[in-house]
Amino acid sequence: MLRLVVRNLTKHKLRSLLTVGSLVVALFLLCILRTLVTTLEAGTQAAKSNRLWVQSAVSLFVDLPLAYEAKIDAVEGVEKTCKVQWFGAYYQNEDSFFGQFAVDGDTFLDIYPEVVIVAGSRAGFLANRIGCLVGKALAKKYKWEIGDRIPLIAALFQKDDGSAWDFELEGIYEVTEPVWDDRTFFFHWDYFEKTMEATTTGQPDVGTFVVQTRQGADQVPVMAAIDQLFEHGPQRVQSTTEADFQAQFVSMMGNIPFFVAAIGGGVLLAIFLACVNTMIMAAREQTRDIGIMKALGFTDRSMFRLLTLQSMTLCVTGGLLGIGLALLAEPWIAHGMGSFFPGFAITAGTRDLGIALTLGIGVLAGIVPAWQASRLRCVEALRSME
Amino acid sequence: MIRVRGLSKSYQRGGETLTVLDGLNLEMEAGRFYALMGPSGSGKTTLLNLVGGLDRPDAGELFVAGEDLGKISGAILAQWRADNVGFVFQGFNLIPVLTALENVALPLTLTPLSRSERRAHALHALELVGMQDRAHHRPKQLSGGQEQRVAIARAVVTDPQIILADEPTGDLDRDSAGQVLDLLVQLHRDLDKTILMVTHDPHAAERAQSIVHLDKGQLGRIEDTPRALAAGD
Ligand SMILES: Nc1ncnc2c1ncn2[C@@H]1O[C@H](COP(=O)(O)OP(=O)(O)O)[C@@H](O)[C@H]1O
Ligand SMILES: [Mg+2]
Repeated sequence: MLRLVVRNLTKHKLRSLLTVGSLVVALFLLCILRTLVTTLEAGTQAAKSNRLWVQSAVSLFVDLPLAYEAKIDAVEGVEKTCKVQWFGAYYQNEDSFFGQFAVDGDTFLDIYPEVVIVAGSRAGFLANRIGCLVGKALAKKYKWEIGDRIPLIAALFQKDDGSAWDFELEGIYEVTEPVWDDRTFFFHWDYFEKTMEATTTGQPDVGTFVVQTRQGADQVPVMAAIDQLFEHGPQRVQSTTEADFQAQFVSMMGNIPFFVAAIGGGVLLAIFLACVNTMIMAAREQTRDIGIMKALGFTDRSMFRLLTLQSMTLCVTGGLLGIGLALLAEPWIAHGMGSFFPGFAITAGTRDLGIALTLGIGVLAGIVPAWQASRLRCVEALRSME
Repeated sequence: MIRVRGLSKSYQRGGETLTVLDGLNLEMEAGRFYALMGPSGSGKTTLLNLVGGLDRPDAGELFVAGEDLGKISGAILAQWRADNVGFVFQGFNLIPVLTALENVALPLTLTPLSRSERRAHALHALELVGMQDRAHHRPKQLSGGQEQRVAIARAVVTDPQIILADEPTGDLDRDSAGQVLDLLVQLHRDLDKTILMVTHDPHAAERAQSIVHLDKGQLGRIEDTPRALAAGD
């Protein structure tokens, strides 16, 4: 029986290959697409629950007065506050872009135990006013080593004479959870603030206050208290848990999960129809064979199985190859995606979903021709092609 | 072996009812070789299919090999076919993707025989029809006559009591037809099978023991062939 299945499939090599090929492509794409979504969601979930992000209630791009820091610090339940400002400069030329943030160095490292220094040292970073921390992948890309001088050309925060900002590399970090990616550049708030004070722009504002709440403290009243503080201006604020903030960031990129689901559904439907088509053609060619086998004493049910098995063999071959290819390609894609999707990894859930879809397509694509084959009346099948 | 009483069969075609067999009565002895003759469209294939349990009668009794075929259906009827009848059709008997040996072994997959037993049985059947050296050829690589011989091997491999052949020589040249007929005669003689063979060709019919004439769904005379008379059957 199995031999019959395989022989019938290999009889039309090109057709079978095309069907298998389209299944490979489809399952590969589905795995990768879904992994993009799960990776985004994982970033959201990995966010530590005792961190809050305090930002302008108006928009991500409106800054807050520096003076808010002291007031936030005084709120019951707040342990530490770290100022964060997006620097938005570039290195060497405008194409080599990566994220840079001015942060309160020591609080930053306290609040983010997930950021681990693997070369250089915390002490060295804290002691050097123009010291900076960079992610491992970023350091590798530019072949930076500890002690290197790194000039950045500011786009937003320019000095009056337009000269570059100088930094010295004091630490290279890795992350244990994708709360930050490993292609980011951090430097001291003090250096940022003092340098800006010397310019005509003056004292800089703060993009975000990352607040660490006291261990065990309920975050809801803390968020409410912070929001209450600035209810009457000058800038109203909105506190969110870090997880929510990440989710908000994701939703800013558009409703990615929805699009992925829609595209995935479309791909699935197309591939399903292709498989149905292949199976209907196969069943039609085997009409007489089915008639003969029934005459020999094979039951309707075994003819149903014969066709279903063909469909399953076709789909499982293609589907598993596609999923396997996606797993093989994972490290390459993770590398290529870099900082956009830190922690790109195909989850077991995605793999299992792929397998389930493959089996589902196999069964469904085979069911109509298999049903027809089982219902086919022997005498009619034998009269065909006579 | 075969007992038919008031057998009727009609087909619906475009709202019209076409009565193919109309109250047919027929008796056939076990171990005898019958030729079924009649003009085209007279219902020969229809009768053969009914006797072989491929189709179901509208009315009448149909006892074949001790079973009332009007009363069984589905998987039970399929099993009955597997146990009691071997079919040889006019052409395209074989599954194209399987070799001659695999084709012959195919009905044995419905038996409890092991893989190696099935292979041995199939080889033996191929030897019986003189096709052992073509065991691994695909149907496409065989001539029409060779294909029919493989089909005959497949029909006897399960050792059924009855062999039903629908114009087995219809598509063959004279020499191949002769070989196929020789083979049927030999199987009948050596293995004691009951054979019912539909044919157009009077020469082919002469090789049987009795000729049954069918015309417009009615049974004509049954006559013994000179050969049978000479042999004293
Ligand atoms: N499945 C069917 N549907 C409609 N008509 C059929 C069917 N099978 C056979 N017939 C008709 O029944 C008649 C007898 O057919 P058949 O038994 O094949 O005759 P023979 O084999 O003697 O040539 C023919 O007119 C044929 O067209
Ligand atoms: Mg006919």
